[in-house]
Amino acid sequence: MATWRGRGRAGRPWAQHVAAVPAFALLGLLGIGAVAGLLRASLFPEPGMGATLTAWRRVLADDRFHDALLFTLAIALVSTLAALPIAVLVARMLRHRRLAQALFSLPVLLPHLLVGALAVAWLGPGGLADRLLGTLPIQFVRSPTGLGIVLVYLVKEVPFLALLVLAVWDDELDRLEEAAAAAGASPRQRLWHVIVPVLARPLTVGAVAVAAFVIGSFEVPLLVGPSAPSTLAVHALDATRIGGLAGRAEAAAVLLVATVLATLIAAAAMRWPRRD
Amino acid sequence: MIDARRLGGWIAVAVVVGPLLVLPLVAVADAWRAPALLPQQFGLRGLEILFDPRSGVPAAVGLSTVVAVLATGVALLVGWPAARWLVTARRLRAAALALLFVPLLVPPYAAGFGLTTWLLRLGASGSLIGLVVGHLFYVLPYVVLVLAAGFSRRVDQLDEAAATLGAGQWTRLRLITMPAMAPALAVAALLGFVISWGQYGTSLAVGGGRLTLPLVLLPFVGPDPQVAAALTLAFLVPPVAALVLMVHFLPASARADDPAAGMGLTTRWLSTPEEQS
Repeated sequence: MATWRGRGRAGRPWAQHVAAVPAFALLGLLGIGAVAGLLRASLFPEPGMGATLTAWRRVLADDRFHDALLFTLAIALVSTLAALPIAVLVARMLRHRRLAQALFSLPVLLPHLLVGALAVAWLGPGGLADRLLGTLPIQFVRSPTGLGIVLVYLVKEVPFLALLVLAVWDDELDRLEEAAAAAGASPRQRLWHVIVPVLARPLTVGAVAVAAFVIGSFEVPLLVGPSAPSTLAVHALDATRIGGLAGRAEAAAVLLVATVLATLIAAAAMRWPRRD
Repeated sequence: MIDARRLGGWIAVAVVVGPLLVLPLVAVADAWRAPALLPQQFGLRGLEILFDPRSGVPAAVGLSTVVAVLATGVALLVGWPAARWLVTARRLRAAALALLFVPLLVPPYAAGFGLTTWLLRLGASGSLIGLVVGHLFYVLPYVVLVLAAGFSRRVDQLDEAAATLGAGQWTRLRLITMPAMAPALAVAALLGFVISWGQYGTSLAVGGGRLTLPLVLLPFVGPDPQVAAALTLAFLVPPVAALVLMVHFLPASARADDPAAGMGLTTRWLSTPEEQS
């Protein structure tokens, strides 16, 4: 039997495998449990009754669901695509500056709810920005375009993506860029042919994380989003509040759609860079 | 001459940190009617609510703290061996990393909603255990990844040297591994606590009416800026403390293989998975 005592790493592979099982089993169990629970709640709305697709039919026929789906996708797409170049730009500015990096990374640790609350305090009607500037030229909070939601996600996610970029932007990449510059490459060529290929993979992972979160998050849309269209998660919450057991089933169906959507986006995005 | 890159960096910092600085002023503004630039009347109404048991805020802070401590504690216990395995794993690393990313794909409200279906059948919906389990789903991946970054080659070499000299498992854990892992352990614990502390959707779905601090805060945002600011300040304490302590701990971990305590190692794994062995 393999023991830990007096052995090198090669002498205890099974002990390590077994010890790692609880964490990964827990994650798998909770993930499967969550999805299976949603599926069950959407198919079995009433205790003791058989399976029915009524909730799915109602959801798929509901114009508000279609609007919520499109609005959620648009918010996720705009937030993620806008955050990526800003994160690279800011990371470039913050390289080798430990204090500025630490301060800039604060939003990574802040809950989305907190950043949303700050957005309302500053950008809401009669908020601090209104007082400082007279009147804001653009409506952010409750804007039907979702501008406020995108802004909050940018404040929250740009630091996260910048941290990912900074983690791989090492001195070797600097030397590569210098070598390219010495060989006559323009700043644009250096960006696209030297820097972006190195950053592509971590940025893809980060973008997936951001897009997946945006698709499912609802505290930010609740605070700064318009009442219509709503996002998928807010639509689900509304269904639970006004629809009784049938509403719960519809909410479960909508949340399952959000989960599948996030998974599909992740699967597509993670395949893309490996083709290079 | 002004360095444009340096100036741009500080502007970026000001954009994300600056808005927080006004919170104390809003929290003590009993009257601040638009369009006045400064409050007309100062008072402690917002802060008093933080400590008034009738407001439910102290209980919510207590529940948030207990849930975060328990979820983080469990995550550290089960995450430690998983992180250690992850560093040396070869064939199954990709599958393990994929499992760690599952919580990113299941929205918190969806996870809470789905898990509640089973917790109701088990009679645990709205219970403390239900809340801890729901939060654990989101805390565990971060804890594992940060701990994995701490298990550097240096820790391995020290551990194996001690084993070669005849030190037993517990002696090595107490005298070698734990001290070497202290910075990563601290960062993992802080990050786990903060992740749990900020959970809104999971708590709303699983809590069954039990109020954590985020659930108490949201209804005040907009209708009552003063109370919202006071609650936001309370909500800010753990993340800011975590940042300060991480900055304090990170230089120590930076002397090991990886400077970004979790982020760097993970990003490198994900960047070039075929090169990691």
